[in-house]
Amino acid sequence: MAQTSSKPSPIFPKGAAPLRALTVTMAVMCYLACLAIGALVLVNRAAEAWSQGIAREVTVQIREISGEDIEKSLRTALGILKTNPGVLDAKALDRQEGIKLLEPWLGKIAMDELPVPRLIRVAVDEQAPPDYPLLEKSLQSNVKGISLDTHRRWQAELARMGRALTLLASLVLALITLASIMLVVFAARSVLEANRSVVEVLELIGAEDKFISRQNDKQFLNTGLLAGFLGLLAGLVTFLALGFSGSAAGDSVAAAGRSLLFAPVDVELRLWAGLLLVPLAATLIALWTSRLTLMRMLRQHA
Amino acid sequence: MIDLESVALRYQSGPDILKDVNFQMRPGELRFLTGPSGAGKSTFLRLLFFALKPARGKARILKRDVASVKARELPLLRRKLGVVFQDFRLLDHLSVFENVALPLRAMGQAPETYERDVLDLLDWVGLKGRTADRPDTLSGGEKQRVAIARAVVTKPELILADEPTGNVDPALARRLLHLFLQLNKQGTTVFLATHDEALIAQANGKAIHLEGGHLRDL
Repeated sequence: MAQTSSKPSPIFPKGAAPLRALTVTMAVMCYLACLAIGALVLVNRAAEAWSQGIAREVTVQIREISGEDIEKSLRTALGILKTNPGVLDAKALDRQEGIKLLEPWLGKIAMDELPVPRLIRVAVDEQAPPDYPLLEKSLQSNVKGISLDTHRRWQAELARMGRALTLLASLVLALITLASIMLVVFAARSVLEANRSVVEVLELIGAEDKFISRQNDKQFLNTGLLAGFLGLLAGLVTFLALGFSGSAAGDSVAAAGRSLLFAPVDVELRLWAGLLLVPLAATLIALWTSRLTLMRMLRQHA
Repeated sequence: MIDLESVALRYQSGPDILKDVNFQMRPGELRFLTGPSGAGKSTFLRLLFFALKPARGKARILKRDVASVKARELPLLRRKLGVVFQDFRLLDHLSVFENVALPLRAMGQAPETYERDVLDLLDWVGLKGRTADRPDTLSGGEKQRVAIARAVVTKPELILADEPTGNVDPALARRLLHLFLQLNKQGTTVFLATHDEALIAQANGKAIHLEGGHLRDL
């Protein structure tokens, strides 16, 4: 009587070949979804960091004008800047530092004779920034050849790029979701086709559709959960491997991996919420699409 | 129990397999359906377990007009029927006990409520010692006895059997026939399709013959 005291066996046979194939494929889709979520969080974080870095600083540039003492102009400008509300610090770069900044574009050439503009790096209070038009007007009325660069253009460019990358990652996520749904629909059909004889017997003995559906749910629930967590695990292992790969994968890749693993609390929360949604979404997709497919099949039988 | 008036049956737009069939069967009766292979015996049975609707005529089974039965009503109607097939239709991944208990499980009954009944039933069909075995380890005769036990576990009003002795030797066929006769003695209506005329003679039962789409009494 051992069979009566133990839990009844599942009515649909365990480990049908199409179900195993579905588990593997869905696990891969979940893994890709985890990578896309990681990329999404990373891009958002990078775009925020760049924007903040740019917003914290402005640059003042003074062109060399014949007859003007550029050192005196620098001192005047520094005087105006340091007394202006919203300016935290202002530091003039010496001529060599300015030349060094041009090297990426001009290469290492003799620039002693060239009129290289002098730069002042200005740290501003992000919360209460200076009145830039007023500051620029004040600088221009006191110093000839002076201009103020607030980096607004770069900031806008970065924000645009950040938005584009976010959209791209979201699109990848949406495509993965769509592909997963299609996969489950086809796999559910194959599984149900493989179990057609079981469904026929169940219908013959007077099983109601909801009973058959419950038996079907159990197998797809297990498949969705298993695939979701396998994909999540593989995703986390990838982030860890990237974070600790160091020179093997290149510093920027390792830094990206580390920045995902050791991000500030709010970013970590966003990342984990996104990642934990993957097995949940996989389970729901597996459950609902297979249920709809089964119901359609049962309606055709009736 | 069964009342057919000028019934024609066909699959979709194919030719008529049954033509102008009239047949009545009262509760508690035992009837055999004979006929050559391909005569439409299985199709006739499909009508009786609500898997086919008549193309023409009127068919009433278990006091229900087959043509008007809705899909959602089928499970409750089929629980009043017990169907046995030549190819057994057992689930190989379930034990003998679980196969027999399947209709009760599908009705939402808990194992502890049906355990005794199922074991008694397996004892009746002579398979008490095989309860934990899988169907693929059983002989053809044993499989058919499991199928019979499954068909009667819900105490149906009507038993339909499609060539139940088709895959077993004559000695075993007699044993299986004995089970159906016992069920009929207990008051269950039994309708048995077979091409084994010796079996019908042995049971001394009333038979109808299906050939060329027409039904006639033997």
